[in-house]
Amino acid sequence: MALANLSSPHHHSFNKTSQLMGWVLLATLPGLVVQSYFYGYGTLINLIWASGLALGFEALILAMRQRPIMPSLTDGSALVTAFLLALALPPFSPWWLTLVAILFSIIFAKHLYGGLGNNPFNPAMVGYALCLIAFPLTMTQWAGTEEVLSFVQQWNWFWLESIDGGIDAWARATPLDLMRHTKGLTLTELAINDPQLALGLTASMWVNLAYLLGGLALLALKVFTWHAPVAMLASLGVCAGLFHMGEPDLYPTASQHLLTGATMLSAFFIITDPVSGATSRKGKIVFGVGVGMLVFIIRSFGSYPDAFAFAILLMNLSAPLIDTYTKPKAYGHQPKKSSPRGDAL
Amino acid sequence: MRKIWDFHGGVHPIENKLQSNQPCIVAMPPPQLLVVPLTQHIGKVARAIVEVGDYVLKGQLIARAQGFISANIHAPSSGYISDLTDRPLPHQSALSGPCILIDTDGKDQWAQLSPTAHPESLPKADLLSLIQAAGIVGLGGAGFPGVVKLQPKNLIHTLIINAAECEPYITSDDRLMREYAHEIIAGIQLVQQLLDQPLCLIGIEENKPEAIALLSLAASEHSNIEVCVIPTKYPSGGEKQLIEILTGHHVPHAGIPPDIGIVCQNVGTVKAISDAIFLGQPLLKRITTVTGKAALRAGNYEVLIGTQVKDLLAYAQVDLSQTSRLVMGGPMMGFTIQDTDIPIVKSSNCILAAADLELAPIADHHACIRCGQCEVACPAQLLPQQLFWFAKAEEFEKAEDHNLSDCIECGACAWVCPSQIPLVQYYRFAKGRIKTLNSEAQLAELARQRFEFREQRLIDEKLAKEEKRKARALVAANAQAAKRAADPTAQDPIAAALARVNKQKLAQDTVNKAPKKPEDEYKRLKTAAAISRTKLNKTSKALLEAQAQKHEQTADLQATLISLTSKAAAAQTELLAYETKLGLDPEQEKNLQLAVAKASGLVRKLEKSLATAAVPQPIKADMLEAKAIHQSAIKALADQQSNHAKKLTLTKKL
Repeated sequence: MALANLSSPHHHSFNKTSQLMGWVLLATLPGLVVQSYFYGYGTLINLIWASGLALGFEALILAMRQRPIMPSLTDGSALVTAFLLALALPPFSPWWLTLVAILFSIIFAKHLYGGLGNNPFNPAMVGYALCLIAFPLTMTQWAGTEEVLSFVQQWNWFWLESIDGGIDAWARATPLDLMRHTKGLTLTELAINDPQLALGLTASMWVNLAYLLGGLALLALKVFTWHAPVAMLASLGVCAGLFHMGEPDLYPTASQHLLTGATMLSAFFIITDPVSGATSRKGKIVFGVGVGMLVFIIRSFGSYPDAFAFAILLMNLSAPLIDTYTKPKAYGHQPKKSSPRGDAL
Repeated sequence: MRKIWDFHGGVHPIENKLQSNQPCIVAMPPPQLLVVPLTQHIGKVARAIVEVGDYVLKGQLIARAQGFISANIHAPSSGYISDLTDRPLPHQSALSGPCILIDTDGKDQWAQLSPTAHPESLPKADLLSLIQAAGIVGLGGAGFPGVVKLQPKNLIHTLIINAAECEPYITSDDRLMREYAHEIIAGIQLVQQLLDQPLCLIGIEENKPEAIALLSLAASEHSNIEVCVIPTKYPSGGEKQLIEILTGHHVPHAGIPPDIGIVCQNVGTVKAISDAIFLGQPLLKRITTVTGKAALRAGNYEVLIGTQVKDLLAYAQVDLSQTSRLVMGGPMMGFTIQDTDIPIVKSSNCILAAADLELAPIADHHACIRCGQCEVACPAQLLPQQLFWFAKAEEFEKAEDHNLSDCIECGACAWVCPSQIPLVQYYRFAKGRIKTLNSEAQLAELARQRFEFREQRLIDEKLAKEEKRKARALVAANAQAAKRAADPTAQDPIAAALARVNKQKLAQDTVNKAPKKPEDEYKRLKTAAAISRTKLNKTSKALLEAQAQKHEQTADLQATLISLTSKAAAAQTELLAYETKLGLDPEQEKNLQLAVAKASGLVRKLEKSLATAAVPQPIKADMLEAKAIHQSAIKALADQQSNHAKKLTLTKKL
């Protein structure tokens, strides 16, 4: 047998991209289960639909780009985008909303920039932001928690957008929405007057805790490092805490910020996207801090109730700059460590 | 227990050491042919001092080191020199290099050896020369000549013995430590003696408990030798990493360990130093691991330098049909070989004949998703993912800016890469390109300097010549002055010549300054006008020719023509002005000359027809008339001319 001429190393960890993506998909399951428990089947139906669409669009665009289809399809990256979008979209989103979001994510945000590894923006967030701007009403139809739709009701709504009494009878404002538009009430008064808030906050908290659990599992599996999520949560917590201390009637507490909306989903599943984030560990910290602060600013002073899509896209935009200024010091370049020891060895 | 530091990154590949570290070291008998390369070390190629046909004894010097960074080479066994030729060397490139081929006679007969029983009494210089004579090089892999490291410029506080052996599969140092612990300690003491007794730390990965126990026992009676057990993590055996693990310090960028008071030696090297001094044996054998699932008798072999890989593989019963990849060195940093005729050299620590499924599959790689696992694994604290993008895009400046040169090519990044990108290959490519570009730039710089130097030299030569000439003139003048002083009557010839020239010039000036005769002036002006006309004609002719041939000087000619035209016009105007001033009328004179010519022509014609005419009478009358006209024309011309002359004379009088 002819002997091969290959470059070292000749050994490999047998790590695979598809394996990483698989872990990410698995880690979303607790969040998916809890979200479905509180808000009904919407997310689940959406997830299956989105996955099919993502694989379909991925195959289509790969064929158009004359790239091998199977290796890219099986690396799991399209599925991750589909999962994240499905989890982020409201449970009452109809089929076409998901279709628009996935189409834009996979084809425009990902493949028109060169495919996996080359997209400057997180594809799922691009699709999400597009829908948020184009269909603001549909995007804010969040489900209530006191009575969830049956599977049939949800199914009919998803495909036909027909439901007894209209969707407005079922849709509820999210806790972030409620706290943002208090109609002149202080937060304490709001909590007493509107039982919706407490219900919403509880559901949201459990969903976020479920995502936190999944995220910690990924951290334990070393799918990503702690830097970006911890930095983001810390900066959001600190901002929220400071403002709450100053004006408790106007600003929700840090824990309310950390456990509502898409905080944990974003912290562990979206800003950890390596392709569109900062590279070095120091860079990831800067990236996370930036996202956390922007989220707080947009949530508190912007006109959108939740802010992750915009915050993350803005930080994606800054990632190359962050990389430039956060280059780690290589071995032998740290002056402190390379000085000889003073004490006799 | 000494504090152990951690180094950044690192990976934990499957060790696969058990299959080769169980059996004892087996000494392989001398093969029939030994191929001994003249370069088995970093530095200058050694020079062969034997001829084809010579009989050499085992341990006899056959090639001498050239310069400081080079190493002696000895005959690994007794036999006849069969050839001095280029053979493929053990290197990824499989390039050839000069080798000495020895047909062994099987007697393995030693040359006269001179062991030293009590080296502690020897002065440093003698000890060093013994080590140098034995051709000791670093056996860890790079093959750096041993003596160079043993005479550092700085004070050395710590001697680190690298016994980590972090590469998977390789167990040659492990077995060496188990079987030669005392020799190793003796070698360490020799090195300590040379480095003024620094503390010695032996770094061993914890996966070698037997070696640790035996070495600790051997070292127990020496207070300044410590065996340090370090966690198993690749690449802890990298020199810089081991230094960080044992001391917590970094070797500065572009620096060497002695800069921070540390010298690092491989455990095999100190054993070789011990053999060289206590046994007087030069470096002509080493322990090489043969392992992998294709090796039926995996284990460690004491192999003579120059043994061909195929002989060793046969001895270890390697089934080459089970493998498609033969690696020299370990699976992380070793290189593949295709030609089993290449020899084992001083730095060959392992031959890995892994079955196909044992190693990484030869797979297509996927896109880089910047997952950052490589960064986590990189022991040099680089950003491998960024370096990959820069190498791929050939942005070498950026790659250098991201400290590509600090990459030790350990392969940890490629090992973890989920996209299975051959990252190290990209870095080697970039490093190679940068090297080429730099050497090209250097050559260009050299050429520029040479050119500038030559220019300067020419200028200098010219100035020197001028200086010399001046000096000569001064000497001559002085001599002249001296002569004059000696003989004041003698005239200075130069002064005389100058005086003569000046006198002539003066005379000329007086002549020039004297008022000119109008005739002369008129003549001069006429000549000038005529010359400029002729020049003009010639040039315009030349221009026409040039234009016809599309000659490159056409433009120049055109310019000349224009200037000549204006000059001719100026000359003509001057002439006319002078004529008017004198009241001359050259036009009139011309007309008169024309009339004379006409009349004389008519006369000649009539004379001809008169000679042939049948009836001469009427012609004769005509003839008379014509002659009269001719006469009058001549007279008029003469009048005119005399008038001119008169006018000129008159002007003169004026």
